[in-house]
Amino acid sequence: MTTLWDTTGRDVVSALSAERRRSGVVSTGLALTLCVVVEEKDVGAAEQAATRAAAEHPCRLLMVVRRRPDAAESRLDAELLIGGRLGPGEAVVMRMYGRLALHAESVVLPLLAPDAPVVTWWAGAPPDLVAHDPLGVFADRRVTDCSLAADPVAALRRRADDYAPGDTDLAWTRSTQWRALCASAFDPLDTRATAVRVIGPPDATRALLAGWLGRRLGVEVAEKDAAGDGVEAAEFDLADGTVLRIGRGDGRSAVLARTGQPDRSMPLPPREVGDLLAEELRRLDPDDTYAEALEQATGTSGLSARPRTRTHIWHDPTADPSPDPALTTT
Amino acid sequence: MSNPLRDPRDRRLPRVPDPCALVVFGVTGDLARKKLIPGIYDLANRGLLPPGFVLLGFARRDWGDGDFEELAREAARSGARTEFREEVWQRLAESIRFLGGSFDDDDAFDRLAQLLDESGSAQHNAAFYLSIPPSAFPVVLKQMERTGMADNARAGGWRRVVVEKPFGHDLASSRELNELVNSVFTADDVFRIDHYLGKETVQNLLALRFANTLFEPIWNAHHIDSVQITMAEDGGIGTRAAFYEETGAARDVLQNHLLQLLALTAMEEPSSFDADALRHEKKKVLGAVVPPTDCDAYAVRGQYDQGWLAGERAVAYRAEEGVDDASTTETFAAVRLHVENRRWAGVPFYLRTGKRLPRRVTEIAVVFRKAPHLPFDATDTEILGANQLVVRVQPDEGVTLRFGSKVPGTAMEVRDVAMDFLYGEAFTEASPEAYERLLLDVLLGDRALFPHDVEVEESWRVIDPIEAAWRAQDEAGRQPQLYRAGEWGPAAADEMLARDGRTWRRP
Repeated sequence: MTTLWDTTGRDVVSALSAERRRSGVVSTGLALTLCVVVEEKDVGAAEQAATRAAAEHPCRLLMVVRRRPDAAESRLDAELLIGGRLGPGEAVVMRMYGRLALHAESVVLPLLAPDAPVVTWWAGAPPDLVAHDPLGVFADRRVTDCSLAADPVAALRRRADDYAPGDTDLAWTRSTQWRALCASAFDPLDTRATAVRVIGPPDATRALLAGWLGRRLGVEVAEKDAAGDGVEAAEFDLADGTVLRIGRGDGRSAVLARTGQPDRSMPLPPREVGDLLAEELRRLDPDDTYAEALEQATGTSGLSARPRTRTHIWHDPTADPSPDPALTTT
Repeated sequence: MSNPLRDPRDRRLPRVPDPCALVVFGVTGDLARKKLIPGIYDLANRGLLPPGFVLLGFARRDWGDGDFEELAREAARSGARTEFREEVWQRLAESIRFLGGSFDDDDAFDRLAQLLDESGSAQHNAAFYLSIPPSAFPVVLKQMERTGMADNARAGGWRRVVVEKPFGHDLASSRELNELVNSVFTADDVFRIDHYLGKETVQNLLALRFANTLFEPIWNAHHIDSVQITMAEDGGIGTRAAFYEETGAARDVLQNHLLQLLALTAMEEPSSFDADALRHEKKKVLGAVVPPTDCDAYAVRGQYDQGWLAGERAVAYRAEEGVDDASTTETFAAVRLHVENRRWAGVPFYLRTGKRLPRRVTEIAVVFRKAPHLPFDATDTEILGANQLVVRVQPDEGVTLRFGSKVPGTAMEVRDVAMDFLYGEAFTEASPEAYERLLLDVLLGDRALFPHDVEVEESWRVIDPIEAAWRAQDEAGRQPQLYRAGEWGPAAADEMLARDGRTWRRP
């Protein structure tokens, strides 16, 4: 491990290559660069999640902690690890103070693994506009998490307005297990659904699951509130008069019930943020299914047809935030 | 009616088979305990088994469901790749049944057919895994035919059968076996397991060749000098003496694994990656393989003598328990084959396999021709070898490219260096075990990784003349060449390459 205090981006690059030579690692096998935007208070949790994801996908992990952009002096501290606490790959944790925090890309760009895809993950509340953050502009995949926003459903709406192919959200990743359960429950059916209810707390995952079911099945999907930590159940009224219900069982399973048939138990293990992130890293192409679910959930359209690249919009959080009229929604 | 929730673009959702039953004959055997049951557990743990899945074990024991569950649980606990979780097991255990009976017991098969019929709508689909000696095939297959449980139409769903190697012991017997199996099941419902084809690298060989522009243009006799395919094992025959005495290295490994690897290396590009197109190309290339005309020179057999391997003493093959003192069974085989088509004319394919070799390794080495002209002094390139592309199948799955590079310094000296791609480095996402993957393919009905009966017959066509030549050598009193355990095979194998002006690559 190397720790550099009050350093420059250039020193970080040479320290990384020195560290790599010392540990005898070659960077040819790196599949991607994972760039994590995180606040100081969330660093521990983000490190844990990124380490878990890096164990599955060896990557160069760049963690960017922006601190006090209003500080008078700019400063960069960096910590370099190879094959250590932060997984089998290479990791650089950077803390940026003062105005440097607004120019994080100047440090990060030379550290990206050559020609490997870049994934940027906001480990806290999603940005208002991805284009405000240069670390999101150069990324091939952008991962946000609406569930961390003060109002998750409004945040999801924001994501739809700001969407570009290559964006995804961990609220969507949380629905994968439920979607898999629904799909396998529908495999043996020879009838169709006439009405669908998704039951759970009013969050982005419920909205996306309902959006996906509505889009795929072509029926109205009602969302019903229930307490709990995530989706509780999905119910389908079928054309043959029976009801199919997939509900959360004990902590690790779901129960599949259909009128006139014995209940069946299916695995539904809990997943941590690291597992979700690992799932995101498995595919690096735009997720059209997510775009469709997001369209349905937010009443937007044409998301997949939007341009894939963004242009950076200068935004200074220390100045008075002025709304961008072109991107304001009603 | 197709499932509206399934969409090929939605690649996050796992492919889960239709509700079905898996019936394993010989479920108390080694293979079932070490590979099948752990594989099924891993599938369950990954959520890839359909709701209502049933595992039916059939064996010659007087057991209840409970006894079998205990054995299966132990097997899953010790053999599973993924973490053993009690609640996953409990869920799987609820769907495990055991049926005791001998294979000629009509009652037992009637009960099995009844079990499959009455377990509700889900069990119209069933796969039968024949984890039993080939000698038991006829009686089991006849029983299935008698009870009609192999009949897709009668069952109202799919019925598939999984067969393990050996697929016969020569062309005639494999034809007989194919006819027998195909008479009970339809040819498309027969899945022959060659677990090497379930390995990630073998499938990657196809990606390497057909997804890149870099390799295919030079993948021919103009640029390739020779191909070496090696499958070495450090172990001996263990407890399989009876089987091995009958079989030998050529039938055990060469006929299936090595010829399949050769087919994937040498075949033309399939028009698509579906099973039919892939099998079609493999069939074509296997049909173009010619066995050596001079088997004395280009089909070497060896047998291990006593020696030291990995710091331990190893006994000679003939001293193994259950092996005849004068056995002429080969434990090592090396052959030179040619593929007679435009792409490969004149390129020798050297295949070798053996037991008690220094280490366990399987690899395909493509050796390129040397540069036609070197603008360097002869002394500069003295230690420059031929360029090689090596596909490592196991262990350390990956690809290595060897090429010349200048040694730093004022003198112009060129030496071989290696560029390495290691699967575990770029993707540590755990690859599924071969059996886990292949079992899932059987249940999904994906035939791409299973050799077709025609491929098996073509392989025997190559092996039979070699075996015949060796039998003739036996009669002439010529024995397989001995090699010390812990050596890379007998001297004759090295001489075979030396005669062609080549050497074996040390894997």
